[in-house]
Amino acid sequence: MSRETAVGTESAVAPVVREMPAPAVTSLTATATSQSQVRRNLRRFLIGNKLNLIGLIVVVLFLLLAIFGQVFAPYSPYAQDITGSKLLAPSLSHPMGTDELGRDLLSRVMTGTRISLQVAVVVLGFAVVFGTLVGSVAGYFGGIVDEVLMRFTDMFLAFPALILAIAIAASLGRELHWTMVALATVFWPWYARLVRGQILSIRERDFVAAAESIGLSGPRLLARHILPNAVSVVIIQLTLDVGYAILATSSLSFIGLGAQPPSPEWGTMMSTARNYFREAWWYTTFPGLALTLTVFAFNVLGDGLQDALDPRSGRR
Amino acid sequence: MLVRLIVRRLIFLIFVLFGLSLITFGLSHIIPGDPARLMAGPRAGKSAVEKIREKYGLNDPLPAQYVTYVRNLSHGDFGTSFTTRRPVSEDLKRYLPATVELGAIAFVMSTLIGIPLGILSSVRRDKLPDHIARFVSISGLALPVFWLAIMAQFVFFGRLGWLPDGARIPIGMDPPPTVTGMYTIDSLISGDWELFRLSLVHLIMPATVLAYGSLAVVTRMVRGGMLEVLNQDYIRTARAKGIAPQAVIFGHAVKNAMLPTVTSLGLQIGLLLSGAFLVEIVFSWPGIGRYAVEAIQRLDYNATMATTLVIALIFVLMNLVVDILYLFLDPRIAY
Repeated sequence: MSRETAVGTESAVAPVVREMPAPAVTSLTATATSQSQVRRNLRRFLIGNKLNLIGLIVVVLFLLLAIFGQVFAPYSPYAQDITGSKLLAPSLSHPMGTDELGRDLLSRVMTGTRISLQVAVVVLGFAVVFGTLVGSVAGYFGGIVDEVLMRFTDMFLAFPALILAIAIAASLGRELHWTMVALATVFWPWYARLVRGQILSIRERDFVAAAESIGLSGPRLLARHILPNAVSVVIIQLTLDVGYAILATSSLSFIGLGAQPPSPEWGTMMSTARNYFREAWWYTTFPGLALTLTVFAFNVLGDGLQDALDPRSGRR
Repeated sequence: MLVRLIVRRLIFLIFVLFGLSLITFGLSHIIPGDPARLMAGPRAGKSAVEKIREKYGLNDPLPAQYVTYVRNLSHGDFGTSFTTRRPVSEDLKRYLPATVELGAIAFVMSTLIGIPLGILSSVRRDKLPDHIARFVSISGLALPVFWLAIMAQFVFFGRLGWLPDGARIPIGMDPPPTVTGMYTIDSLISGDWELFRLSLVHLIMPATVLAYGSLAVVTRMVRGGMLEVLNQDYIRTARAKGIAPQAVIFGHAVKNAMLPTVTSLGLQIGLLLSGAFLVEIVFSWPGIGRYAVEAIQRLDYNATMATTLVIALIFVLMNLVVDILYLFLDPRIAY
């Protein structure tokens, strides 16, 4: 059972795979037997698999830091000390060292979590809402509406996501909120496709026919009976995407789009740190490590959730 | 069927490019900011700015500007770069070969390592090769490529001094006579072995870093495909017949397991192209990725749009090639 760790399932991390019709997760909410299977799977997910547990711990730590990081940070992330503590190597008083303006790197890395979380929440919040709207309208109405909406969606998927985001962010302006707009633009089409696929399969099921037979239709049927059954698939995708949204934000900030100095955004910090890589290894190492660990944790958690919630994956 | 696929894709491509040009043009003209002022520089007087505005048609109504923009694009005219003051198309010709060279080597590396690693890990499931493969595939997708680049630079150049920190050839050396623009090939053509060696040495670090992400994808896909195939009945039949294990794996399993990997080629190309933006600036690699990033940082609008359009075009065309390849590999697929 724990053989299938996060890396084992080749699903969901790669956008190509996302194009597959979503698995039969929807059946979970339908019957009582699969309810208990979910619980069993969730237990297996946390106790049976160490990697998943590590992922969960890191994610919780990340969330705590994002909320309380500024309170616990030993120094102000912006307090400069260019006389005494420029580019100090890690020590007890500065566990991650200091940067070229004498700012404490630990405090900056801790504060950076909040920016990353904010970006992920805003970008993915928009992507999920807009994507679900487009996807459910396309899936529910079908026909020409579906055709037009999905061709429109495909247009956004025809580019490498990061490059499309760079193009949009570059034409909007070099600020973090424009980067968020750009990233939301590249993330929503995935949700539109995902939700549409779900709707198409759910609306064929018996309970939908039953709901229709008692006279339900339109938005009410969609919102009360069909969409709730698509939630678990969206949540899995969302967990995986938090990591990618954070990674993409940092990548854009690194090339000068997005957060600007003196922001303690991780990519922005590394963009400056690059100039000091020879004399101060700690300057790039720690923000990068924080970023890697965060993305890794969300990937593992997303993959693990998929294993736990998708009854098919256990059989393989 | 093949012709229909190509025609359909090309029509879609036109829509896609039209869409992208509309998005980028639209956004950049809604947002306040004056390209004429940027072009003229901070010290230019009012009349100079006005002259530039006149020259580039910036006083025309927006739809007229867009039509001019698209008409120029269709002639391969991307406008003039504000920073290099050369036509952007000339700049692209100069910088594109460096990116192609880097990307091609990274692609070869990730394929040559990823396929055997994926096969090995599926055959030796839960043994050491499998653990290595899993580590590669999970870390490859979580590691920020620019961070990996800086770290590699720090270790292999800064500490060990084994590899140069960037650029295509040592500073002060003349590049080989231009034929393809790719230094490794050009130096071979001119018979300059020392230059060939040097350009390879300069390629090692950037190409390896760039390859890592797509290596993760290849390994993951091959491993997944193999595991799927190895459970099939025909493999059991082949084994039951007493065929040697190696023959079963290489004769029966690998070919079918390659199909998902071929599908992932498109994704790989995307990873390599977007990775080039980040890797090239760290290694001062004079390709279009670095050109684009510098253009972004200097608000060089024409150059930014042109590079993203060209990269999108490369991506879409390469994916068309992948689809055609797929058609030959798997006759069951019908488009």
